[in-house]
Amino acid sequence: MPLWKEYFTPTTVAEALAIRSRYGHDALFVAGGTDLVLDMQHGNHAPVMALVDVTTIGALHQIVEAEDHVVIGAAVTHAEIESNPLVREHGTALTESCGVVGGPQVRNVGTIGGNVAHALPAADGTIGLLALNAEVQVSTFDGNLVNAVWQPLLSIFAGPGKNNLGDNQMVTAFRFHTRHLGQASAFDRIMRPQGVALPILGAAANLTLGDGGLRVAAATLAIGPAGPIPFRATAAEQILQDAVALDDALIERAVLAAQEQAELRTSKHRASKEYRHEMVAVLLQRVLSRSIERARRDF
Amino acid sequence: MAALTLTVNGVSHTLEIPANRFLAEVLRYDLGLTGTKLGCNEAECGACTVIVNGRSIDSCIFPALKAQGADVLTIEGVAQQWVQEHPAAGTNGDELAHLHPLQQAFVCHGATQCGYCTPGFIMQSKTLLDRTLEPTDDEIKHCLKDTYCRCTGYTAIVSSVKAAAEKMRTGVLPLPDLPDAIAPLEQIGQALPRPDAVDKVTGHARYADDYLFQDMLHGATLRSAHPHARILKIDASAALALPGVHAVLTYADVPGELRHGLVEYDWPAFAGGAYPARYVGDPIALVVADTPEQAHDALAHIQVAYEVLPAVTDPVAARSPEAPVLHPDRPTGNLLKHIKVRHGDIDKGFADADVIIERTYRTPRTEHAFLEPECSVAVPAGWDDPQYGQHDKLTIYVGSQIPYADRHQVARCLGLPEDAVRIKGTVMGGGFGGKEDIAGQVHAALAATVTGRPVKILYDRAESLRFHPKRHATLIRIKTGAKRDGRLTAVQAELYGDSGAYASLGEKVMTRATTHATGPYVMDSAQIDCYAMYTNNAPLRRVSRFWRHAVGVCR
Ligand SMILES: Cc1cc2nc3c(=O)[nH]c(=O)nc-3n(C[C@H](O)[C@H](O)[C@H](O)COP(=O)(O)OP(=O)(O)OC[C@H]3O[C@@H](n4cnc5c(N)ncnc54)[C@H](O)[C@@H]3O)c2cc1C
Ligand code: FES
Ligand code: FES
Repeated sequence: MPLWKEYFTPTTVAEALAIRSRYGHDALFVAGGTDLVLDMQHGNHAPVMALVDVTTIGALHQIVEAEDHVVIGAAVTHAEIESNPLVREHGTALTESCGVVGGPQVRNVGTIGGNVAHALPAADGTIGLLALNAEVQVSTFDGNLVNAVWQPLLSIFAGPGKNNLGDNQMVTAFRFHTRHLGQASAFDRIMRPQGVALPILGAAANLTLGDGGLRVAAATLAIGPAGPIPFRATAAEQILQDAVALDDALIERAVLAAQEQAELRTSKHRASKEYRHEMVAVLLQRVLSRSIERARRDF
Repeated sequence: MAALTLTVNGVSHTLEIPANRFLAEVLRYDLGLTGTKLGCNEAECGACTVIVNGRSIDSCIFPALKAQGADVLTIEGVAQQWVQEHPAAGTNGDELAHLHPLQQAFVCHGATQCGYCTPGFIMQSKTLLDRTLEPTDDEIKHCLKDTYCRCTGYTAIVSSVKAAAEKMRTGVLPLPDLPDAIAPLEQIGQALPRPDAVDKVTGHARYADDYLFQDMLHGATLRSAHPHARILKIDASAALALPGVHAVLTYADVPGELRHGLVEYDWPAFAGGAYPARYVGDPIALVVADTPEQAHDALAHIQVAYEVLPAVTDPVAARSPEAPVLHPDRPTGNLLKHIKVRHGDIDKGFADADVIIERTYRTPRTEHAFLEPECSVAVPAGWDDPQYGQHDKLTIYVGSQIPYADRHQVARCLGLPEDAVRIKGTVMGGGFGGKEDIAGQVHAALAATVTGRPVKILYDRAESLRFHPKRHATLIRIKTGAKRDGRLTAVQAELYGDSGAYASLGEKVMTRATTHATGPYVMDSAQIDCYAMYTNNAPLRRVSRFWRHAVGVCR
């Protein structure tokens, strides 16, 4: 049975959403297809009548700075993000997370929109965006008009592999704040060398330092997979922000809090819960010390 | 159907294609540009890499309609593009000068062996050299991270990429760094390019799936749903009624001997009738249809009634008297072979020892992971093909490690004299011991004979993994006695080899294991017993070196 029978290449968001709404469950958006095509071939997703390609929509390909934000279109590829100077300057964690997705051939077609919409708690691009406190732009079609709304990234995840977008909705962009003085971010992951697309564990930190680099003014930490949806280590963030001084003991306490809060599981092809528990500490230490080192360059 | 217009290697094409076609299929099967290879079909191996609008992509999962209006470069166009952009190239009398520097380097540095990965490597490396002509080792490895080679070990590939960059910078291709031969002869002691290297770097080498005969049909195989089951009934009427389906073949259609094999004739071409399915790779029926999709879709319409039998999946359990017997016609039950080594007086050996160490080891089954999945194409006797000419005999095109054994087995199953069958050994995308058994050769020959048309049977990676023989999983108990000065006095070992459902080359491999169990050492005594056992697992055979890995570990 063919996996799909019709393939649409709309050029505007309105056109894409109109087709998608018309077909309802019988159509799917496709961006790079690097998740979707394999899911369909492996029978994890039933065949559909139509695929609607979002990469033919010119407006979804931009990376721009607007109103104190870096805005990235949903159809921007990992390779484009990896090599973009604006993203490197303001969202290093995203540069680093998109830079390790798959190999070059996959990064040349896989998009940030597909990475997020696929809704896996360990997706690398998602973890990078989450640490940057990014917002997602969801566009909704009411039959006539498209209404685009910025909302917190976490609001679109419903569970592993499930987003809560309706048949008349799509992701059109992401944005995160440009860098403040003393702010920096970093991403790292632990990966099996071959054969599985997702990491054993990934983590990203985004810190804003105050007092000439001696305390943490703001922190966002993202870890995946550490729960059914991408995970923010809020307890650890709180500990970092509340402290009057940034030292090794503080990082240790933050790491313990993150280990405590993370909901880790054993997965057959990747790693045991116990191993992941240890790796939360290893990765957080790494991304925190890298962020601190980068942030202190501002002082 | 949808219209697709694209430019490939500078030539514009407009085609009508099904909307679900992938770019690799359009290139290979619609445009006949078979230099682009399919290794995994799931974006892992990079064999299918082509360049679309300047970016490299895995064409196996790239919906063809994404290439609407695009400029596509495949391995077939690389040399021509290079010469067009560098009109001086090819004028200096060098016989490789008409090739892209990467192609020249892959030839001269021995970076192409089976060659199946080569087009992907050249395309992917080209994207790096398009960016920089001074690539570091790290940049090369980063660029080639998801492009796999199973033959070369990558060293020659990395040196080729550097050499090509140097050629592009300086105009001179550095030759590989080789140790000097003491007394070089005309051939020996020389760095000779392999004779088929140019074909392999240009995409012109033909592997079995690259043969596209006129009016060719396609086969798909229904395999057992159970590791051990009697086949009570096969009802193919619904499948036969489907559009495009020409035949559904089962054991009842085999005109000659049903069973083939390399050492023992124990492997039925189809399970059914007297022979139960003995592992999940056993074929039960072959659908022959106009297109591969029709053939594969028809499999779901074949009804098979099974009587599920108890299965034995562990070689030690297989030796127990209670174990289900796989081949009741064999006098030794599940024991394929008991291989013995007896040397000296073992009791005295242990009595003389200062230290005795006893351990149990297990080694896992190992997959060959050749990059090219198995493919057989059979052409009936008398077939005249506009491209490949007249075929006086039933001819099978196959990438096989032992074509003469294929001929013997095909002739045996088809009830033909051996000289009525011709095996055309095509270029083979890696074998490593995994392409010695019958895969689709007998089925394709039968299907071509029944339908009177060429028939291709191509396995995808999942089917290849499921059915083809692997290296034995073993259990090794080994007791070693030694003197304090390091001399060995005794080795006593018991090996269980899981030979799977059929003999294949299992006993030969286990014989090697047995005779190598003592390692390269001299000792006073040895007593080794190896039990090669039939189980309901995939058959087992050699991987590259006739075994020895497992016992090597234990030494
Ligand atoms: C070999 C290989 C290695 C990989 N390695 C990694 C890795 O290291 N890390 C990692 O995180 N991922 C990895 N992946 C997964 C995948 O490449 C990424 O998740 C990629 O970002 C998915 O993007 P895509 O554009 O290909 O999405 P698609 O497959 O096209 O789509 C994914 C899902 O998102 C939906 N979708 C796409 N765009 C939109 C939109 N704009 N609005 C609403 N829904 C949309 C689709 O309907 C689909 O459900 C790998 C994949 C492969 C094949
Ligand atoms: S990556 Fe396409 S065939 Fe392996
Ligand atoms: S030469 Fe690379 S797979 Fe054979």
